[in-house]
Amino acid sequence: MRVLAAILWKDLITEWRSRDRVVAMLVFSLLVVIVYHFALPEGTGPDIAVHTPGLLWVVFVFAALIGLNRAFAMELENDALAGLALIPADRGWVFAGKAVANALLLFLVQGLAAAAFGLVFDIDLAASALPLAGVFALGTLGIAPVGTLLSAMAVRTRFREVLLPILLLPALFPVLAGAVEGTAEVLRDGGPSFASVQLLLVVDGIYWIICFIGFDYVLDE
Amino acid sequence: MSPAAATRLVARSLVKRFGPVTALDGVDVDIEGGHALAVLGPNGAGKSTLLRILAGLAQATSGELTVTRAGAAAPGRGRRAARAGVGFAGHATLLYPELSARENLIFHGRLHGIADPQGRADALLADEGLATVADRRAGTFSRGMSQRLSISRALVHDPGVVLLDEPFSGLDRRAGDRLSLRLRALRDEGRLVVLVSHDLARASEIADRAIVLLAGRVAHTASAGELGRDALEDAYARALDASLPPVPGDAGGTTAGPSA
Repeated sequence: MRVLAAILWKDLITEWRSRDRVVAMLVFSLLVVIVYHFALPEGTGPDIAVHTPGLLWVVFVFAALIGLNRAFAMELENDALAGLALIPADRGWVFAGKAVANALLLFLVQGLAAAAFGLVFDIDLAASALPLAGVFALGTLGIAPVGTLLSAMAVRTRFREVLLPILLLPALFPVLAGAVEGTAEVLRDGGPSFASVQLLLVVDGIYWIICFIGFDYVLDE
Repeated sequence: MSPAAATRLVARSLVKRFGPVTALDGVDVDIEGGHALAVLGPNGAGKSTLLRILAGLAQATSGELTVTRAGAAAPGRGRRAARAGVGFAGHATLLYPELSARENLIFHGRLHGIADPQGRADALLADEGLATVADRRAGTFSRGMSQRLSISRALVHDPGVVLLDEPFSGLDRRAGDRLSLRLRALRDEGRLVVLVSHDLARASEIADRAIVLLAGRVAHTASAGELGRDALEDAYARALDASLPPVPGDAGGTTAGPSA
């Protein structure tokens, strides 16, 4: 846990000072929301409520791709990744620290992007803020582990910007199935169903365990 | 005998292949605390690969690596055990430019689970003469300051084994002299130092034994007392000659002596 805490502290403090990832993710998210506004001329009609979950999660997934592509960039500078690989502990804790940091940054961007979406399309998301935050958190906890692992795998390749989405998007299908359904249930019924929460919890758990174990091999040269 | 002097690093028949390329081909290393080994050789000889395997950063295709540390119940086999007592400073500094010098050391201290990372960081910064710039971001440091901070980072968990890959590269003469003094002090404290270098003169200041690698094999071994003598210089020059294509029109050897 000390390794997790150290990595989390380092990632958050370097992000606070550089703000390169959050700003990029946020600007991209806001631009997509504006694109939606122009692409959906009847955007403020009743249909938009039906499509809101899918539209939101498209924004979240692509914002996550932008952030995850940069997640290990700072570790390449000065070969800092070697410093992480040298720890005399299970390297899975390095993964856990990076994944938690990624999840927190993505969750922050999700909140701001959802607020912007609500404003642009005149949808009162604040009324369901708490259950929505729960579904967003569960979805994020599914994206972060597999995204962190694949980002670490892709970062040493020549085509990492292309490779990450090709590898990551198929792995996110089960997460998106649960997250979109859960978000729709919150907006329709006021809360997510047990089935969608269960799906997200199971997928999240599987991804965290697999990625924790697999990360040790990713750092090998 | 100091605790660090009881450290011993033994590598047997290390082989490392990258696809069809054999980077290391049966390399043996056996060195104890209080001694320094220089690993010499031309570009592509396998020096950095050897060092990264010794550090636990890379896995050998075959062979055996054992690090014995004072106080350990049994010799540490396996890469995690090897990493525990190893400090590594590579070509790059392994530092985060957005963090201050102190924060970099505290971070690495936390990764290694030391009891008082803040106190340890302050002590190391004072030792390296970096206390006055402790709160400056590492990204603003000169090459010499970064290298000193990188050495401190490698020592943050008080390792018995210190592995250095081209630590003198990019340093001016004065900074090189200071680093040489620091590395000799580490050796004399009883630590085991392995130093990869192109610079035979600098390596001779620190090391008391040396191996010359050529195409992944040990082409020459110099024991204590032989360093700086003609045999080692000749072996090094031969290795450099062997690694270079012949110069058109030059029938004889073309390589100048090792850099001084």
